[in-house]
Amino acid sequence: MSLRFLDLARPSRQHWLGYLLLLPAVALVALIIVYPLFVSLDLSFQKIGMATLNAPRKPFTLDNYHKLFTSPDFWNACWVTIKLVVVVSAACFVVGLGTALLVNNRFKGRTLARLFVALPWAVPEVIAVVIFAWIFDSSFGLMNWLFIKLGVTSQMINWFSEPTAAFWVVAITMIWKGYPFVSIMTLAGLQSIPEDFYNAAKVDGASALQRFRYITIPVLMPVLGVTLVLVILWVFRDFSIIKVLTDGGPLKATQTLSIMTYDQAFGFFNMGYASAIGIVTLILCVVASLLMLGRKSQAMY
Amino acid sequence: MKTIGKRIAASAVAAMLVGAALPTAASAEVLKFVSWQKDEKGVGDWWASVIKEWEAKHPGSTIEWTKVERSAYADTMTTLFAGGTPPDIVHLASFEFQAFANNGWLEDLGPWVEKAGLNLDGWSGQEICKFQDTTVCIMMLYYGTIFGYNEEILKQAGVAVPKTYAEFLAAAKATTKDLNGDGIVDQFGTGHETKGGGGQYIAEMASYLFDAGARFTNAEGEVTIDTPEMVEGLTRWKTIVKENLTPRDLSAGEVRKLFADGKIALKVDGPWIYSIMQQGAAKDKLKLASVPFDPPLGGSSNVLAMPSEIPDEKKQLVWDFIAIATSDKFQTSFATLAASTPPSPRADLTEAKAQIPHFNLMVESQKAAAEHKIDRIPVGLEVQFNEFSKMIQEEAQRMIIEDLDPAAVAKTMQEKAAALQ
Repeated sequence: MSLRFLDLARPSRQHWLGYLLLLPAVALVALIIVYPLFVSLDLSFQKIGMATLNAPRKPFTLDNYHKLFTSPDFWNACWVTIKLVVVVSAACFVVGLGTALLVNNRFKGRTLARLFVALPWAVPEVIAVVIFAWIFDSSFGLMNWLFIKLGVTSQMINWFSEPTAAFWVVAITMIWKGYPFVSIMTLAGLQSIPEDFYNAAKVDGASALQRFRYITIPVLMPVLGVTLVLVILWVFRDFSIIKVLTDGGPLKATQTLSIMTYDQAFGFFNMGYASAIGIVTLILCVVASLLMLGRKSQAMY
Repeated sequence: MKTIGKRIAASAVAAMLVGAALPTAASAEVLKFVSWQKDEKGVGDWWASVIKEWEAKHPGSTIEWTKVERSAYADTMTTLFAGGTPPDIVHLASFEFQAFANNGWLEDLGPWVEKAGLNLDGWSGQEICKFQDTTVCIMMLYYGTIFGYNEEILKQAGVAVPKTYAEFLAAAKATTKDLNGDGIVDQFGTGHETKGGGGQYIAEMASYLFDAGARFTNAEGEVTIDTPEMVEGLTRWKTIVKENLTPRDLSAGEVRKLFADGKIALKVDGPWIYSIMQQGAAKDKLKLASVPFDPPLGGSSNVLAMPSEIPDEKKQLVWDFIAIATSDKFQTSFATLAASTPPSPRADLTEAKAQIPHFNLMVESQKAAAEHKIDRIPVGLEVQFNEFSKMIQEEAQRMIIEDLDPAAVAKTMQEKAAALQ
């Protein structure tokens, strides 16, 4: 009786095998993602400094959220995060799409050009940050030397001590690191467009701009939609570039939500408050993803 | 019969195995020790010698020594403690142990010190380890700053080795130069890290503040930032940074390298600057002297502690490790191996003084700083130090970026520091 019950070859039991095979992955995800998420959610409703897993639970409170929503630092971090998301995502799209269109053409040295387009993606993030930190070094950096030689400025720019300059250094580093992803995704999308589409359009007398507007963009829309969501999420949660370059400064000009979460958790040991910031960030990311996935990725269909 | 025989033989073998295993299991322990100093030349060698001694005294037992980078250290230790798996021997920076002690994670070492008869009188910086009337750690390094200068640069600028802040400022201004006339400063009067975290930022400012007579708090832990002395100290700091007498936005290591390579004329730093000087391109032009600030900046560096929630038998083993590290013999070897001032007043410094020409400078500086109870961590703000130092860093940066009046900045700092307490 019991053996027949476990017979996964029976048509009515076949779907069990699927569940069985998925079980280890589900258990792993539950352990390393869902469980910490619940712990974090629980911590966000406790007034707690340093957390200990086996410590008794502290009383339920909304203090962390009240403190968060009345904190100018939180709203500043939201504003900085949004600014970065808009600037970096838009620039990544323009540069990524442009380079993808460029290397999609047939020309001599195309393989090398494709390699250079993808190179920033292959460079580890910390190395990329160190390179940019030296380029923008306020006393000995290449950028200051170039600016002075070209007559753009007469004195050294303190790239990491001026709030606006520091923001742009972070944004430029992120764009350099992020655009190849858009480029690679778009290139894959471009290569899936049948040549017949363009030939037919040419026969109909469509210009290059019209072919781009009415064939390339609509066909690429699903790819661009998903890519946009991924880029936004990447900028939203990116930590290492900002941490290494500016540590959120100066004067919180580059303090995003992820940097604020880290500072509160491991800098000031306010785990409950940090968890509240983390939960709010998560909600914002989910909402952004739903909005983007709901619209852009299905635009063509 | 055959079965009974087999059973007897098996029981005998099992008894032998258990008998052989029992003493080993009872005595063999592995203590976990996490430190950021493992690969540091000098001090790392000293820790290795302490471990070797401990293992010789506890045959069969070992110390599992793991390196964690300083930048990730607090995060790692927090995670280990939070997960209930702290290292047995706790090594922490002196500006971060308070948060761990505040959470009840560190053992009160008072009874251990008393039982062992360890005399901590005159132990430099040890009072910092007193947390809410309990001794939660033993200070492993409390240093006084020393002063490095580039003799050639000073000669070229026609200035003498500075002995006061006024002379220091004049020398820094005279030696900050654009050597090739391209509009870019190639040589700086002095060097400070202005890019790192709040703790380092305070340490960089501190010489100017303390020399002006400023203190963040008094002996009772009351905030004393809004004073004329602090305004003077902040004015000095603003002058140094705003007038570009220091390179901007570099890490402490990068600034030290510039000094060692002859791009910076004057540098106030910890005892470790000597070994960095020895590796630089300007090695032969660099000299050491007394710090032109009174009192010199002193700094507690790192501490040894014990987790409160480990078994008692392990606590005894950890204490044995601390006892070795604090013994006269190893405090003496600390001076020679780490080329630094040991906290123990009983360490024999004869050999260190013979080996290291400037050792007396370090001893005098450490003594002067300790006597004035100088430390970058203000009394009464120990637990909130990270938040406090970040606030001080931001307000000082605001003063420079927005060209604010130091008096107004001191007032803001006072209010924010008081609110933190």
